[in-house]
Amino acid sequence: MTSSALSLAYVVLTLAVIAAVTAGRRVRLWRVGRPAAVNWLHGVMALPKRYLVDVHHVVGRDPFAARMHAFVAGGLLGGSALVLLTLVPALGGSRLYWALIAVLFAAMLIGGAMVGRRRYPQKPARLSGGRFQVLPLLLIGYATGAFLAALDAALAGTVWPLGWLGLWLAAAGGLGLVLQLDRGPMRHAFAGALHLVAHPRDGRFEGRRETALLPIDLDAPRLGTATPADFAWNRLVGFDACIQCGRCEVACPAFAAGQPLNPKRLIQDLAAAMVPGGTNANYSGSPYPNARPVAGRGGPEQPIVGAGAMIHPDTLWSCTTCRACVEECPMMIEHVDAIVSLRRFQTLELGAVPEKAAAPLAELRYADEPQGRPLKARTDFAAGLDLPLIGAKGSADILLWLGEGAYDLRYGRSLRALVRLLHLAKVDFAVLGAEERDCGDVARRLGDEATFQRLARENIATLATHSFRRILTADPHALHVLRNEYPAFGGSYEVIHHAAFLDELVAAGRLDVGALGIGVTYHDPCYLGRYNGEIDAPRRLLDRLGLSRVEMERSGKRSMCCGGGGGAPLSDIEGDRRIPDIRMAQASATGAGIVAVACPQCTAMLEGVTGNRPEVRDVAELVLDAVEAARVKPVARGVETVT
Amino acid sequence: MKVVVLVSAGRHPVTGRASPVPVELQAIRLARLLGAAPSGLHAGPKAEAVRDTLGHGLAGLAHLAIPDGDDPLPSLVGALTEMQPDLILAGRVGCGGEDSGQLPYLVADALGLPILSDAALLAPGEAADTLVVDQALPKGVRRRVTLRLPAILTVHPAAPTPLPFAFAQARSGRVDTRPGIAAPRPATDAEQRPYRPRPKLIAKAAAGASAADRLKAATETAAAGGRLLVDPPPDEAAREIIAHLREIGVLRGNG
Repeated sequence: MTSSALSLAYVVLTLAVIAAVTAGRRVRLWRVGRPAAVNWLHGVMALPKRYLVDVHHVVGRDPFAARMHAFVAGGLLGGSALVLLTLVPALGGSRLYWALIAVLFAAMLIGGAMVGRRRYPQKPARLSGGRFQVLPLLLIGYATGAFLAALDAALAGTVWPLGWLGLWLAAAGGLGLVLQLDRGPMRHAFAGALHLVAHPRDGRFEGRRETALLPIDLDAPRLGTATPADFAWNRLVGFDACIQCGRCEVACPAFAAGQPLNPKRLIQDLAAAMVPGGTNANYSGSPYPNARPVAGRGGPEQPIVGAGAMIHPDTLWSCTTCRACVEECPMMIEHVDAIVSLRRFQTLELGAVPEKAAAPLAELRYADEPQGRPLKARTDFAAGLDLPLIGAKGSADILLWLGEGAYDLRYGRSLRALVRLLHLAKVDFAVLGAEERDCGDVARRLGDEATFQRLARENIATLATHSFRRILTADPHALHVLRNEYPAFGGSYEVIHHAAFLDELVAAGRLDVGALGIGVTYHDPCYLGRYNGEIDAPRRLLDRLGLSRVEMERSGKRSMCCGGGGGAPLSDIEGDRRIPDIRMAQASATGAGIVAVACPQCTAMLEGVTGNRPEVRDVAELVLDAVEAARVKPVARGVETVT
Repeated sequence: MKVVVLVSAGRHPVTGRASPVPVELQAIRLARLLGAAPSGLHAGPKAEAVRDTLGHGLAGLAHLAIPDGDDPLPSLVGALTEMQPDLILAGRVGCGGEDSGQLPYLVADALGLPILSDAALLAPGEAADTLVVDQALPKGVRRRVTLRLPAILTVHPAAPTPLPFAFAQARSGRVDTRPGIAAPRPATDAEQRPYRPRPKLIAKAAAGASAADRLKAATETAAAGGRLLVDPPPDEAAREIIAHLREIGVLRGNG
C-alpha cells in the first residue's frame, strides 16, 4: 500500500466523521416533530428494495438521470466504503483490491461528468442553481482524486506524483461534499435513505393504494399543522429528502397555469422553516409563479403560512390535490398530505378559507350539499326516466351514487345516458334519492375535516340501512372517498366506477355495441387514474366501441389535471392561464374530434373551454351512441342521446 | 368599544335545520372590522342552536334560557340594561321564528336608544362616541349617517360577507348560560315554516304587455315610484299612502 493511498483512507475516514457530525445537526432539527409510529426493523430490511425498485422505477422515467445517479451514487458510496476497508491490512495490501476501487471511482467520474453535462452550459429551468451548480465540480474533484490515488496504489506507486495530487483533489472535493450535507444537495442522500426507512405511508412500497387522506382527531388541542413542530418527524425528514430535481414543478398544473404554487419550492420552504431563524433566501430554483410577497422567515415553532411567514396562503389554495407531484417525486415525498394538513389548520383553527370557498362549506354544514340545493332535487336530471329509489325497492344489486354532478345540467346528460344503459342491460339498480348527502370530498380537500367526518358518518349510517352488493358511481371523487376514505370511519364498500362497470357489461355481452369509428382521446381523471390506478378499464371500454383512440402528451398515471379537484374551482386563485385551457390544448393537439371524460369535474372544467376544440363526451354517452348505432343501421353518427 | 350582537336561532331555508342567520354573521364581521371583540346575546331554549356563531368571530356568547315559544324581548332588554354596550347590532330580519324584523325596534324602544336600519359598513366617527354608518338603500344607493352612541343598528345583507367558520373557535368558544325572564306569549294558531325569500312586488305589469314592457315596468317604475312628501299633514299622508297601496295592488276596493 502506498502512503498516498493510506492517507486517502484516513481522509475518507475523516470525511465520514465530519459527515456524521453534519448530519447529526440536521437530525436534531427533526426531533422537534411529533412522534410517529415507525416499524424500524421492517423499514431497514425493506430499504434496499424500496431504493432499488420503487425509487428507481420513478427515476428511470428519465434514463439519463437514472444512469447518472447509478454511476455517481454507486461510485461514491461503493468506492468510499471500499477505501475505508483498506485500513484492514490484508485488503490494503492488495493491488487488485485497489484496482477495483479505481474502477468504482472511474464510474463515479463518468457520473460526475454526466451531472456536469446536464447543468452546463445551459441549466434546465426545473433544476436548482446555487450550491447545486458547484456539485459537478465537487463530484468530479473527489472522483478524479480518489481514482488517481487508487490507481497509484494499484500500480504499486509507479505514478506516485499522480497519487499525491489525487489525494489533495479527493480531500478538497470530499470536504466540499460533506459540508453540503446539512444544507446542500447531498442532504437528500441521508435524509432520503431515512425517509425510505421511516416513510409515513410505507404501504406505498407494498403495492397498496396509499392515497386516502388520514383522519385527524377533532378533539385534539390543535387541528392541522401551524408550525414545523406540528408535523410528524418523519414528514420533516421527507421535506429534507428533496433533491430539487424539479420533476414536480414540471408536472404541477397550477405551476403551468401561473398560479403561485411550485411543489418544489413549497417543500424547500418547509425544509427551511424547520431551522431556527430559517429563511428562504438560499433557494435557487424557479420561484412560485406570480409569487405573492412573504417575509420568508421561519422556525420550528413559528407559523408556516401567512404573509409574515414562509408560505403565502394563496400557494396552499392553488393546489388541485391532483397528486401529479407525488407521482413524479423520486424521493417519495407526500406533497398533498402536507398541503392538506396546512389547509386544515387554516380552515379549522383560523377560519381562513378563501372567501369564495366559505359559502359552499357553510351550505355543506347546514344543507349537506355545497350549493344548498334540496337533496331531493338531485334526481331531477332523470325526469321522465325510471329511476328506482332504494328506499322504495328494499334492496338492489347496484346502488348508483349520483354525486354532485347530478345537479349540473351538462353532467345530467351523462347520467341520463348511464341510467338508460343500466335499463338496457337490465341491471338491478337503485339510487338513494333524497337520502344521498354530499360525500364530503370537497370539504375534506379544503381542510374542513369536521364537516367531512360528519358527512362520512351520516352517509355510512344511511348506507347501513340499505341492502346492496356494490356501489356504482360516475364521480371518481365520490368513488375515492367511498372506497378509500370511508373505511377509516367504519364503512367498507365495493365501489366501481361507471367506466369499469360499462366495460364489464359490454364484455359480458349485456350491451350490444356497434362501431362508432371516430377519433377519440381519453382524459384520465386524477381521482380515478392516479388515486385509484384505474387507467385500463376506460381505455378497454373505448376500444370496444370501435373508436380510434389516441393518447395525449400526458396520460394514464402521469395525466394532467383538468383543474377541478381539491376545491380549486372554489378557491379560484388567480394565475396567468386556466388549467383546463392547457389540458384542452393537449387534447386538441392529438387531432381527435372527441375528448372522452369520466368525471363530472373534468366535464365541467373542459366544457368551460371556449373556442374551437374537441367535443367533450362522457364515456357513458359514447357507449349509448354505440348501443344505438348497433340498433340502427346504417351507423347513425351523432344520435341525440338525450331522450 | 363594547359591542353586542343579537343572534337568533335561525333555520336553513332549504333544509330547515338549525343554522346561523347570515346577516347576523355579517353583523359580527362589521363589529370585527371596527376592531371590537363582539359578544353574542341569545334568548331561547337551547344554546346549541346558536353555538356555531362562535366560529364566525364572536368572542363569547351569553345565552338566556327561556322556555320554547316565549317572547325573548324582556330577557334581552334585561340583559342589555345590565351590560350597557356601546353598540348593539342585529340582523335586519332573522330566518325562522316569526322573522318579522320587529325585535330590534322593540329593543330600541324598551331601552330608549336610537335605532338605524340597514347598516352596510361601519367606521369610527371623528368625535368620541360617534359612529359613521353607511346605510344601504334600495338600488345599491348608500347614505352616510353619523350616529351618537350608544345605539342599535340593524345590518343589511349588503354588508361584507361573514367571516368563514372556524371549527376550533366554535369548539373552544365560551357559552355563558343563565336563566332569562319567562314571558309566555298567548297561543296563536299561526303556521310556522322555514324561511324562504319572498317574491318581489313587481309593479303593474299590464296584462298582455310584451316582455320588454314587463321588464321596463319591473326595473323602472320602482325607481320612479312613490313621491317624497316633506312634513305633510297626517291626513294627507294617510291619503297618499292608501292611494299608493291601491296603485300597486296591495289594497283593493274602495275601503
